[in-house]
Amino acid sequence: MTLDELRATAAARHDTCAQIKKMIVSRLDLPIEPAWITDDQPLFGRGLELDSLDVLELYVAIEAEFGVALYDSDMSVFGSVSRLADHVNPALAERAPTGSA
Amino acid sequence: MESLTSPVKAAHPEGAAYGTVLDAEVALRFSTLDAEYEAIRERAALLDLSGERIIELSGRDAVEFAQKVLARDVEYLTAERCMTSLVLAEDGTVVDQVVVWGREDSLLLESSTGAGTRLLEHLRAHAEPGVEITDRTAEYALFGLEGPYAWGVVGRLIDGELASLPFESIVDTQWDGVDVLFGRTGVTGEYGYKVLVPRESAERLWTKALEHAVPAGQEAVELAMLEVRQPVVRHEAGEGVDVLEMGAGWLVDITKDEFVGRDAVVAAFEGTAERRTVGFSGGTEVPAPGTPVTVGGEKIGEVVHAVHSVGLKSSLGLLRLPPDLAAAGLTLTVGDTEVVTLTSPYVTPKSWSTPII
Repeated sequence: MTLDELRATAAARHDTCAQIKKMIVSRLDLPIEPAWITDDQPLFGRGLELDSLDVLELYVAIEAEFGVALYDSDMSVFGSVSRLADHVNPALAERAPTGSA
Repeated sequence: MESLTSPVKAAHPEGAAYGTVLDAEVALRFSTLDAEYEAIRERAALLDLSGERIIELSGRDAVEFAQKVLARDVEYLTAERCMTSLVLAEDGTVVDQVVVWGREDSLLLESSTGAGTRLLEHLRAHAEPGVEITDRTAEYALFGLEGPYAWGVVGRLIDGELASLPFESIVDTQWDGVDVLFGRTGVTGEYGYKVLVPRESAERLWTKALEHAVPAGQEAVELAMLEVRQPVVRHEAGEGVDVLEMGAGWLVDITKDEFVGRDAVVAAFEGTAERRTVGFSGGTEVPAPGTPVTVGGEKIGEVVHAVHSVGLKSSLGLLRLPPDLAAAGLTLTVGDTEVVTLTSPYVTPKSWSTPII
C-alpha cells in the first residue's frame, strides 16, 4: 500500500472509533470529550471502568447506532474501542489481525 | 538511596536470573520465560514485587497533597479501595504509574518496578507542610498472584471469599496469624491479587505460596502487561513523550480541576498531536527501540519497545507514528521486516472467559 492508501485505511478506523466514543460518552453520560478516550483504552475494569449495567446500555446503543447485535459476544469485544470497532464495522477487522490465545 | 533487593531472595528458586531495573535488583526469570508466561496466561503465577517502593502519605493534608500529585481523583478513596494513577511532571511527561491504596488515616503509593526512588524525589520536591512522606518499603514485602486460576490460590492460601472481591477492593485480613493487606488488583488482564505482608513474615508467606503457584519474573510480567496494553512506564515514557503520545490518557482524570501536569496535558490535548502509539506484531527478530518504521522507503516513525511474545509466537511491540497513521490494520515495514498494526488487547486474557467458582 502507498502512504495515501494507508492513511485512508487508518482514517476509516479512526472514523468508526470516533463514532463509538461519541456513542459511549452520550449514552453513558460521561463528563469527558469523546476524543479523550483512546482507541486502545480498555472499556471495563481498569480503563474506562464501565460496569455490567453499562454493558447492557452499550448493547442497545450499538444495535441502534450500527445495526449490529452483540448480545452473545464474549467480553473480548469490549477489550478496547478499536476492538469494538472491528465488530461494528467488520470491514476493518478484515485488515486487522487481533492476536490469539 | 540504596538499591532495592528482595527480602525473600534467599527463598527464590535456585537458578533465578537477576537484573537491574532502575533502582531495584529484580528476578528477571525464575525458570524460563515460556514456563512463567504459561503460568500467567493458563494457571496461576506468583510475583515477587519487591522492586516496588511503598510510600506513605500521611498527616492533616495528605489527601489534598495526593490530589495535587496524582493524575486521578482520590478524594473519595476509602480504606477498602485502591486505584491506579499516573504521577506527572509539570510538562505532562510521566514520572511513574502507581497503585494508590486507601487507608484510614493515610494513603499508600506503590511505585512501579524500580521507579520508587524517582517517585519519592518527585513527591518530596512537591512536599508541603501538613504532609508526611515516608518510605515504608523496608517494613513490608509485596507479592502478586496473576492468572486465570489465581483465585484458586487465594482460596487455598488465605480465604476463598477474598478471591471474588470486586476489582480494586482491598481488605485488612490475616494470614496464619499475621496482619496483611490484601487487594484485588493486577496488571496482566488476568485475575490479579496483591498481598502486602510485614517483612518478618514475608519469607514464610512466599514459601507457602510457592506450593500453589509458579513464580514469574519481571520479563514474563512485562510481556503480559504489553499484551493487554498496560503501560510499562520505563519502556514507553521516553524523554519529552507526553502522556497522550504514550496512549495512557486513560490513567489521567482530566475532569479533576488541578494536579501537577494538568495544564500541559490539556494543552497537548487541545494542540496538534505529532505522534501517537499503536501496537504491532510480525517477524521473529525483536527490533530495538528507535528502529525506523517505513513505507515505501520513507520513514514515518519508530519502534518504542518490542519483545518476543510467547502468546503470539512473533515479535510484539509499540510504534510511535504520526496520528493519521496510528491505527490498527496497517502493514508497515520495521527495519527489514513486514509488520501489522494491531487492536488491543493483543492477547485475550483467559480470565475473561473463566469464572471464579
